[in-house]
Amino acid sequence: MEEAQVTAQLIRRCIAGDAAAWEELVQRYHRRIYNICYRFVGSAGDAEDLTQEVFIRMYRTLKSYEVERGAFMTWVTTMTRNLLVDHFRRTKQERLTDSLDVAPSERDDAMPLSEQIRDGRPAPDARAQAQQLGDAVHRAIGKLSPDLREAVILRDLQDMDYKQIATVLKVPEGTVKSRINRGRAELARLLQRTYKQVM
Amino acid sequence: MAGKDHSDMQCNEFDALLSDALDKVLTGPKAQAFQAHASSCPICGPLLAEAEMGKHWLEQLVEVEPPAHMVDKILAATTGIETPGVHRPAAQVPWFERATGWAQGVGQFIVAMSRQPRLAMSVGMAFFSLSICLSLAGVRLADLRRVDLRPSAIRRGYYETSGKVVKYYENIRFVYEIESRVREFKRVTSPREPAPAKQERHPRNDSSEQPEQEHNHRQGNGQIILAASDSPPAVDLAWVKPATLRRNP
Ligand SMILES: [Zn+2]
Repeated sequence: MEEAQVTAQLIRRCIAGDAAAWEELVQRYHRRIYNICYRFVGSAGDAEDLTQEVFIRMYRTLKSYEVERGAFMTWVTTMTRNLLVDHFRRTKQERLTDSLDVAPSERDDAMPLSEQIRDGRPAPDARAQAQQLGDAVHRAIGKLSPDLREAVILRDLQDMDYKQIATVLKVPEGTVKSRINRGRAELARLLQRTYKQVM
Repeated sequence: MAGKDHSDMQCNEFDALLSDALDKVLTGPKAQAFQAHASSCPICGPLLAEAEMGKHWLEQLVEVEPPAHMVDKILAATTGIETPGVHRPAAQVPWFERATGWAQGVGQFIVAMSRQPRLAMSVGMAFFSLSICLSLAGVRLADLRRVDLRPSAIRRGYYETSGKVVKYYENIRFVYEIESRVREFKRVTSPREPAPAKQERHPRNDSSEQPEQEHNHRQGNGQIILAASDSPPAVDLAWVKPATLRRNP
């Protein structure tokens, strides 16, 4: 059976009141929703709360989802994105403006990214270095404006196509592409600024 | 974008094709024109390099593992023991349903209590005591109407009651003053009666040049009357102003 058909059947069972089907739906989608939230808000705790909020909303509104129309993924992502936008507006005042460089110790001890990338030798602790690089990119995503951030998350981390992203963000495909371009370029500039010299 | 022409391609057209180029779906003459523009345009060339770099880094990011207990928490927050579409989560119960539930609880308590003679007796006694207190205070439950519980009625009741209290207080003060004046007058006019024993004088701590006399400060309508114990009493009823008398029926 195709993925879309499986999902449609699962949703029908959920609406009929099948608790096991709901649990399966949560199992299938919580990882994806959590990752979108985590990359957007930056912190694991907030991501967890928001993921739970998404499922509470989903649980309440699942009946309104039109199974025949399909595109459950787009429906769920739109719901997630709307909650993230709400959260962003809510916490606007609380946010700190400077967080890219984070812990000074981390930055001082870190090998410049340019060296990490250029260095062909096997790293003494490749896993630790990958982790470090991942942290730097994660922090840089958090520095992007929300418009650019959501666009690159959905495209480069969630592998959604431009049409789906345009539906989720409610903007034309051309705008989506432009935001992705600017988001990627801005991210590169942020990381270059942090590590001075790259590739 | 500058919108200048570089190798038959505009900057905005380059921007529109940039994501396709990075997805490697741009082919043919368009791909050639794209490359030509990138190598000659001072804006689009760096943009291509940066966007490519950013995409590369984003692709390095791996999916993070959600917290282990997360599914359980979500299930508890949504279903609990319920099933979707059948019941709402507990937190979402509307206020009127909660209020109804509360009222039912109170009703059940009263019914349960009426079945317990001892408890019912205690409640009865408490109610009896309360009604006695209210009737002593001049409140008759039979006179209480719904209209008396409006804010304006309560406010009016408050002012009426406080007015009565002030009048009562002033009446007592008036009687007390008259009595004390009469006592003083009697004492002065009948010398055989010994004067009331003088209060022992306490040495003053302060060094102020105040005359040594017992000051009995009475404040009546802003007037201070000093009743000196050594000097003959100044029988001064001027402080009993007509206004005070008028207030007393
Ligand atoms: Zn250009």
